[in-house]
Parts: sequence; C-alpha cells; structure tokens
Amino acid sequence: MSINLDQAQQTFIVEARELLQAMEQSLLQLENEPDDQDAIGAIFRAAHTIKGSAGLFGLAPIVGFTHIVEDVLDRLRDGDIAVDADLIALLLKCGDHMLELIDVVASRGEALTPAALQRGEALREALGVYHPLHATTADAVTAKAADGESAEVLWHISLRFGADVYRNGMDPLSFLRYLQTLGQMVQVDTLTDSIPALENFDPESCYLGFEIDLRSTASHATLNEVFDFVRDECEVQITAVDEAPINPASTGTELVTQAEPTHRSTAPQRVATASEAKPRDGNYVRVNADKLDELINLVGELVIASAGASLLARSCNHDPLHEATSTVSGLVEEILDGALHLRMIPIGDTFNRFRRVVRDVSQELGKDIDLLISGAETELDKTVVEKIGDPLMHLLRNAMDHGIESAEARRAAGKSSKGHLSLNAYHDSGSIVIEIADDGAGLNRERILEKAQERGLVASGAVLSDQEIYNLIFEAGFSTAEAVTNLSGRGVGMDVVKRNITLLRGTVDLDSRPGQGTVVRIRLPLTLAIINGFLVGIDQATYVIPLDMVQECIELDEPQRDSSREQGYLDLRGEVLPLVHLRDHFNHEGPAARRQNVVVVRYAEHKAGLVVDDLLGEFQTVIKPLGKLFGALRGISGSTILGSGAVALILDVPALLNQLVQMEARTAQAPQSPLVVAR
Amino acid sequence: MAKSVLVVDDSSSVRQVVGIALKSAGYDVIEASDGKDALGKLNGQKVHLIISDVNMPNMDGITFVKEVKKLANYKFTPIIMLTTESQESKKAEGQAAGAKAWVVKPFQPAQMLAAVSKLILP
Amino acid sequence: MSITHETTDDTARVGIEGELTIYTVAELAAALLPQVGAAARLELDLSQVTEMDGAGLQLLAVIEREAGINGTALSLTGQSQAVTQTLQLCRGAAL
Repeated sequence: MSINLDQAQQTFIVEARELLQAMEQSLLQLENEPDDQDAIGAIFRAAHTIKGSAGLFGLAPIVGFTHIVEDVLDRLRDGDIAVDADLIALLLKCGDHMLELIDVVASRGEALTPAALQRGEALREALGVYHPLHATTADAVTAKAADGESAEVLWHISLRFGADVYRNGMDPLSFLRYLQTLGQMVQVDTLTDSIPALENFDPESCYLGFEIDLRSTASHATLNEVFDFVRDECEVQITAVDEAPINPASTGTELVTQAEPTHRSTAPQRVATASEAKPRDGNYVRVNADKLDELINLVGELVIASAGASLLARSCNHDPLHEATSTVSGLVEEILDGALHLRMIPIGDTFNRFRRVVRDVSQELGKDIDLLISGAETELDKTVVEKIGDPLMHLLRNAMDHGIESAEARRAAGKSSKGHLSLNAYHDSGSIVIEIADDGAGLNRERILEKAQERGLVASGAVLSDQEIYNLIFEAGFSTAEAVTNLSGRGVGMDVVKRNITLLRGTVDLDSRPGQGTVVRIRLPLTLAIINGFLVGIDQATYVIPLDMVQECIELDEPQRDSSREQGYLDLRGEVLPLVHLRDHFNHEGPAARRQNVVVVRYAEHKAGLVVDDLLGEFQTVIKPLGKLFGALRGISGSTILGSGAVALILDVPALLNQLVQMEARTAQAPQSPLVVAR
Repeated sequence: MAKSVLVVDDSSSVRQVVGIALKSAGYDVIEASDGKDALGKLNGQKVHLIISDVNMPNMDGITFVKEVKKLANYKFTPIIMLTTESQESKKAEGQAAGAKAWVVKPFQPAQMLAAVSKLILP
Repeated sequence: MSITHETTDDTARVGIEGELTIYTVAELAAALLPQVGAAARLELDLSQVTEMDGAGLQLLAVIEREAGINGTALSLTGQSQAVTQTLQLCRGAAL
C-alpha cells in the first residue's frame, strides 16, 4: 500500500518543533521548581510524542535518539532519578540535538554535520549515566516483513470464543470478514451448541464457535496474528490440511444452508458518501501560510475594486447604488480586518524562546540574570514575528554581555547582584513597540562619542544630545565592545540589527542612563500587507501617507506659505514644525498650486509637516512592494493601485523624517540654526 | 454508510497519518486531541471503533477508556490503544480498562489499517 | 431499534427495525424469546435491520433452537442486506 505521507510529514516537522519548544519551556520551569510533576509529565509527553510520530515516518535516527531520552525521562517520572542542574542542562542539549535531527528531515535528506553527529554520540553517552542499562544502539524501526508470495495452502481454523468477547468490543464475525480478505473461505461452520439453555442464556455473552476452511497464501503467523486481539479469550487452532477437504468434526446445529454459494469474497462495497462527521481538529485549523497570503492578497484586490466601485457610484447620481456600494465597502473593510487578523500571532512564543538563551548565556558569562517578560499576548503579523527574532536575539545578547555587569561590579555599585532583563511589547499608535531593557551600567557616552569621532561618524565639535550619541551605536561599523567576547563580538554589529528592523518598516532607538541601564525600543508596523492611507495630491500625482502617522491637516495660507518656505518650518500653535515640500522633494515641475495644505505626521517622537497640493481623504490600500529597480528610492516604501486604476506611491514617512533629522544634525553644527525637529 | 473511526491522539501528525491510512481504505475518520475532546465527539454521532493514545494531556487514554465503558452507546465499541514497547504496564492497564486491542508505536500505516480491519471493515 | 409486533390467528409477526447487535440483543431477547412458543407460527421480518453482528446471529440461533423445542414454525419473511451478508458470511441462513 502506498500512502502519500509527505503532507503529514510536514505536519510532523511543525509539530515536533512546537513540542521541542514546549519541552524546553517545561525544562526551564523544572529548573526553577524541581518538584513540578506537571512539567516532568509535559517533558516526557513531548519526547514520547516525537518518538511515536517519527516512527510513523520511518525516521529511525530521531526514533533512536529520542528513545534513549524518553527512557531517562521515564525514570525521572518514576522518581528513580532526581532533577539537578546537570540533568536539565543535558536534557536541554538533547532537545537541541532532536531539533537538529528534525531539521535534517525538514531539509530533505541533508545529512547531519559531523559535529552534530559527534554531539549526538556524546549525548547518548551522557544519557547512559542516567540509564546504565540502556545500550547506546538505536532501536531500528521494525518494518514488518511482507509475507512472501508463498503457495496457496488450505488452512483449517478452529475458533471457540470466550464469553466476554462482545463486551470487549469484539465481534467474532469481524475476524471472519477479515479472513475473507486474506483468502477464499471454502467452508464455514457456525457452532452454536455451546449456547446454554434459555434460563442461563445471556444474550450479551458470546457462545459462538467456528470451524473454517480457508484457502490462502498467508502464512501461519499471519493467520495467527488475526486473532491477536482476542488471544486471551478465544481458543484458536490453525492447521494446514491436505487438499482433500476434511469434514469438520462438528457436532453443532447444522444451520440449513440457504445462502447462495459465495464467490471469492471482496470487501463489502464502500459507500462513498459525503461524510457527515467531518473531522474537526480541536478549535484550530492549520492553514498553509501561503494560502493565507493568497487570501490576503485577494482581499487586497477586493479592497481596491470596492474602492473603485464606490468612486464610480459617487460620480453617478444614484442614491440606491451609492447605498449599496457603501454597504459593500463596510463589509469589505470587515473582511479585511478579519483576514489581517488571521495572520496576527502573539509575540509571546518568540519571547519565551529567549528564556533559554538568557539562561545559557548568563551561565556562560557567569552572571546571574533574570528575564522578565510582559506583553506576551501582544499580537503582530506573522512575518514580522518571524523576522524580528534575530534582531531581538542580538540585542538581548548584547545587553547581557555588555549591559549587565558582573555580580561583583553590581554589588560594588550598590545594586542587587542579580541582573534583570526585561522584554515588553505593547501597541502604540498603529504600531507595536518592543522594549528590551536591562538594569546594567548603561552606555558610556564619552566612549561612544570618542569612537564616533575617531571613525568620522560625527564631526568634531558637533553638539549632540545624549540620545543622539547613544543611537550612534546603530551606525555601520560601530562596535563598542571593549573586549570581544564569543557572544556579541561575532561580527554582527548593531547596524545589522537596525537594517533588519528597517527592512520591516520599523525603527529602533535607544535610551540609556549611566548606572541604571539601557532601554532599546523597536517600533514595528502591525502588518506589512495593508495600510490605511491618507491620499494627497501633487499636480496630477497621488501619494499615500500611512494614516496612523497622520496627526492633523492644516491649510497653508498665502502669508504662511512665504514665511514657511523661507524658514523651512511652520509655527504650529507655538511649536516648531519642520516642513517637507513634497513638490520639491519629488521634483514635480511647474508652479505650486494656489492652495496648499500641510499634513502633520508623527513617527516615534519625530513630527513634521508635509506640504502638498490637495487632500484627497482616507483610503485603505494594499501595499505592492516596489521592484528592486526602485530600491534606491528614498522616501517611498511601496506603491498601490487606486480605484481609478492609477498608481499611487506610498510615502515612507520614517525615512522622510530621518532625512530631516539628519539635515538638522548637519545644520545643528551651526549653533544659530533654528531648525529643530519637534519632539 | 461507511464505518467511522474516532482517532484520539494529542499528536496531530499521528492523527493525520492514521486518518490518511483509514480514509484511503474507505473509513470515515473523526479526530480528537485528547480524552476529554474525544468524549465530546462521541456525543451525538455514531462511532464504530476508537483508536486512542495512552499519554495525553487533559484526559489520558486509560481514563478515557474507562469513561467510554460507562457510556451505554459505546460500552461495546472496540477500542485500539496505541502503546509503545516501553509501556507494557500501560498496556495491561488499558486491557483491564477494556481496551483489548492495541497497536505498538511506531507503526506503519498499513499495520494500523490491518489492526482496524480485523475489528471492523469499512 | 424498535420492534413491531402483531398476532393474527395463530401467527405472530415480529419485525425488527435498526440494529441487531450487541447493543440491542438484551432488549430484543427479552421481547422476543417469550413470543417463541406463544403462537403456532412465528414470522420474523428482518428487512429493516441496519446492522448485524455475532451477538445478533447468536440470538437468531437461540430463537431458532427455542422454536424447534416448542414446535413453533419459524419463518423469515424479509432480510435486509446487512442480514443477508452476515448469514452468507457464516454460511448459515438460519430459518
């Protein structure tokens, strides 16, 4: 029988990774509370399930290794061995190795690296200490040898069923039916002579016996196996008989044979019905992420199409049509929200993964560090979650390595010897903010400045705020590590962290207080697929500004226009608001429109005014990424198609603001410069 | 009407493999992720055979079998336990509870199909 | 499962609807066995039986045996596919 298990194997890989994750969490839990039986149970179950499922797919290396782990866990569960730090460390490494083995399966046939093989061997040996009896050889999956095509034999099978057979859920007839699939039932005699007299007859007890002649190529062992499940309560005799059919010594009631002679039996015909009882998998449905993306893409098109329809409806004076399209728009919006929500997953899983990292790294560094997690339930787009893992990892390692001091240094500074790291996530004005905070020594302002000047990142004599200095560490080629350790100093600088975050349309900034610690704040969009946009027009072109960043719109009157053009900023209720003239920025030729408007945008703590011709209103839109060709375009993050079919560019507000900040940094060197980015 | 089999296992890949094997032979398959879930699924639909794992969260397989044996509509329904070679004691416990059939994990899909076919044909 | 029952003159007609299995044999035995011998003729209609197993077969065998003991003439007036298949399987079409 060939059954295509590819898809199921994919499920297995996903599931095994989740189980290993759960196993790791429980191990860490167990480390804190060595008596936690639930944790031990969960760890055992994870290993057990992985082994069992791996066996289904014939993944012998996983089965073999996990089997040994499971044995040790079994002893742990039975209390034969005790929880200690060494055991936890060993089991954590075993989990890592299992993940390696699973990754090999996931990458289809790529072999384990020699180093990984060696690790596996070392772990087997180490596990042997906890389970001295266990040989280190892997149990191979026992593949059932197929019965060879042997000659047909006439078998005589004699069956006497015990009283409890029905009560145990067994039907003697089902074994007969199964025998039919193994060969030709030449003769069947049903024995009913054991049925007691009426007063002792219990209809739920079994009194049946059968004498069967079966012509089959199946071996004695195969036939014998048929009765495995009733072995305890059924007398079974299977003998090969000569060709001449013997007359079974039956003394039972010979039931009158009335049924037509049976032909070589086939299994009863299947009724292919649309199953009424559809399998339901808990409360969750596992859906391929690609399908989800496809759906969201379609919903995006739907949003555009619906906007187009609304536009048209508005242009023809037809109230019912107008009403209908607005109902459709409302529903489309809800579908969009729902579709986007499907992709949202809590950040907690990613956060929890770092518990292990913090544990391992702090041990490696000989520091005592606690990780506090909050906001784990905060949701964001799956793609963002997947891609934020590495930058977060790097920031955490950096904080542990360079941020948090050694226990002695901490005590000397009057702090508790235990260092604290915290990971926090929360929603803020349409984005998600992730904070990584430590209570370490804080950044060394002078060293950073010195180094930045050394590298030519800052002109000597430039006046920079503390925060600007701190954020210099995200500049390319900047590394403050005084001693390159094997953790942070691995060539991945903070600039890479920043670049990865920027690629997610996010920003990162850092705040530090000497002696008190450092906070790194990452701000990310909730989703990468769709934005609520605010449409603005310059000449005939339309631009989209992410609505989350729009604070307000103001009309620019004639006198203001002149003064603001000169100064480059606007007096917004006493606040200095730097302006960006998009017309100039994007090189639109021709005279400015008679009326101009300012869209006040804010991102993180920066605020600016974008000067445009027309305000066209809100528009929900699907982001179509720009091709590589436009990669160098600054200030544009993507494009979209309007209901009218025209293309509109989506403004990259963070980039625009950044440009402004840089401009300010340059002009700030001239002390009289009035241009200050409003904070 | 095809015979339906309830597959109870906390591993969705095990359920999937068993499901593929059984569906390919013409059975209807209903899935449940643990004993508690399974008891819920038994409510209101006809199930002709139950396949249950032993070690599961919420309600383990042994407890589940004991509960099934209390249900008037299911006390005579055949139950196949999924055991492992390291769980001999669990196998005995399962049999005592009323699950007389078992399949040892890891199993090949064909082995599972054979075990089910001995007890009911589709 | 339900049982229909009617007696005319010397003939008892019994019909079984639904399962003739371990889940129903206790009830069926309690209802049917006393009928055997009560009338001279017993007609069993199994055309509405949806499922039949070993326990059902066994009950039919007992009814047949008791009919013989009591001198009741037993006849089968209808059998569903489930019944036919089962009887064919064990080569015993009782009745």
